[in-house]
Amino acid sequence: MTSCTVGDTRRNQPEEPLIHEYGDPGHTGKQDMAFHIIVCIKSVITRAPANGTLRSVDTAVLNPFDRIALERALTLSAERKGTVTALSMGPESCSFALFEAIAMGAHRGILLSDPRCADSDTLATSTALAGAIGKLAPYDLILFGTRTSDSDTGQVGPQTAVSLEIPLVTGVTSLEWKKKVLRVERRIDEFREIFELSPPAAFTIHPAAVKPRDIPLGGIEDAFTCEEVGLLTLDDLSLDPAKVGTTGSPTRVVSMKKVSRERKCEFIEGTVEDQADVVVTRLKESGLLG
Amino acid sequence: MNTLLTDKHRAVRRSVRSFCERELAPIAAAIDQEARFPWEVVDMMGKLGYFGIQVPKELGGAGLDSLSYAVAIEEISRVSGAMGLCVTVHNSVAVYPIMAFGTDAQKKRFIPSLARGEKIGAFCLTEPNAGSDASAVEATAIRKDNTYIVNANKVFVTNGGVADTCLIFARTNPAAGRRGISVIVAERGIPGFVAGDLEDLCGVRANPVSSIRLYDCSIPVENLLGKEGMGLQIGLEALDTGRMGIAAQAVGIAQASLEESVRYASQRRQFGTPIAKHQSIQAMIADMATQVDAARLLVYRTALLRDQGAAFSQASAMAKFYASEAASAVTDKAVQIHGGYGYSKSYAVERYYRDARVTRIYEGTSEIHQMVIARGVLSEYAPS
Repeated sequence: MTSCTVGDTRRNQPEEPLIHEYGDPGHTGKQDMAFHIIVCIKSVITRAPANGTLRSVDTAVLNPFDRIALERALTLSAERKGTVTALSMGPESCSFALFEAIAMGAHRGILLSDPRCADSDTLATSTALAGAIGKLAPYDLILFGTRTSDSDTGQVGPQTAVSLEIPLVTGVTSLEWKKKVLRVERRIDEFREIFELSPPAAFTIHPAAVKPRDIPLGGIEDAFTCEEVGLLTLDDLSLDPAKVGTTGSPTRVVSMKKVSRERKCEFIEGTVEDQADVVVTRLKESGLLG
Repeated sequence: MNTLLTDKHRAVRRSVRSFCERELAPIAAAIDQEARFPWEVVDMMGKLGYFGIQVPKELGGAGLDSLSYAVAIEEISRVSGAMGLCVTVHNSVAVYPIMAFGTDAQKKRFIPSLARGEKIGAFCLTEPNAGSDASAVEATAIRKDNTYIVNANKVFVTNGGVADTCLIFARTNPAAGRRGISVIVAERGIPGFVAGDLEDLCGVRANPVSSIRLYDCSIPVENLLGKEGMGLQIGLEALDTGRMGIAAQAVGIAQASLEESVRYASQRRQFGTPIAKHQSIQAMIADMATQVDAARLLVYRTALLRDQGAAFSQASAMAKFYASEAASAVTDKAVQIHGGYGYSKSYAVERYYRDARVTRIYEGTSEIHQMVIARGVLSEYAPS
């Protein structure tokens, strides 16, 4: 499937298709258009790659930080009777994360999958995602997790927002409507920053913002029998293929290895006071106590 | 990786495992020792569809298949055998008979609240003088106008202490022998319905197993499941499904024991090396892993046959017989690997050992299953 016809894959929504042929990357302002939130998610690996296999269903999960963004999107969408699209980029094995997102309650999943996107760094990934988001327009909000559990850069959200030329607030802890504007809060050290802005906008959602819901068993049945994940390739996007993949990536992962941690058990002899002194000395020597 | 599972079944495993490890694992030892039914987790399970796993969506269930059901029970039991028991009994021998034999009106009346876990179901067959011999039930349900007057003394009722919707096996025609037994749905709260004291059990202690007694309970005839005299047929069919669930429960308990044993054997050092490097420990680990895997495959085969609409009674009996015996053997070895610590309540394998033991007894003892399996095999291979 190279194009998405998703009118039949949505739950509890009107019949108009979510993907519009015009590529206006922004909010249309139409009052009758369903409020549309796109959540960018990633299938992260839980084990170091072996035998050249990076991801399989058993070694990859939906990035736990993205679950939080999804949760916020789902509650926001329920309040506004809107729709949530989960968008991911990667090989087809990543579609499992999209099925999980649909099982959580997302109305549909879209996978941008193209061999030319392989080995994209964060910049190329953001460029590709922005291209896909353009295809999924109109939209109101783009939500991201703050980072991924397997690469931990936290760059994709901000870079995608820049690429789309829409406002961005990172590490959002709360988000609510105040009349027609969104009131958004973030915390930095001892400060609280409060922004007010109108859609379209992008946010990365702080891990402590909400507790993501558990996946209901009925949602899994829906995701795997009634719903489908739409596939996009670079040919569907107005994007120069040279801007993604290795050619579009200024950085490169040279190697990835499993970190082995060795635990050692040592019994410290002496009185309780002596033992405490030894522990403090050891901690100081190892730099854990200043 | 288990090749019988599709991505959907893996998603079920991942989702149930994640929930149980977060919500149930921290309290699993305590609810066992306190013999406490964890309503706070049960409420969450209800909202997630655990109490109507195979019930169609339109009746409030999750609409999943039998293999998903087996995987879910396995995963709950991996964390708490008692809660795996609660969920499997509710789904298989309380909800399923109503789905299979109930009228549309009965389904609409009973199923949605059961499927959402707002009500808990129980299967009330066993009596002081009737267990393996189900046809010996002495409970009576005598028709009087538009009601049955039910008198029953049911014992060892799984979920009994909390059950709202109870399937009572009783004689509607005391003169008709095996064909005189029927199933009446009794709801907690009706006059004469008494849930007795909880049993102080060896294992699965968080499950409120109790007696249920009905004293001259007047129950409308609309609560008759199927037709009069169909009781044993309904019971046996429910137990075919129930046995698959108990087998899945046994696999879950055995899997937990295996994982704990591997973890312990890798950390515990004797003679200057982790005991996992000792050949005798490795032999036990190999036996355990093979038995767990074989039991699991028998359970999955049963579920797949059921999903295909094929006969699965014999497969279910084999799965239940083998998995329960395997769980006993595997948990016994887990205790052995842990040595003195395994005999202490400070270590989870002590609980698994106790929980596994009953799987060889309820929903048909191992000996009854051997009889059933042998009967099937002798009939299949008998010279013509």
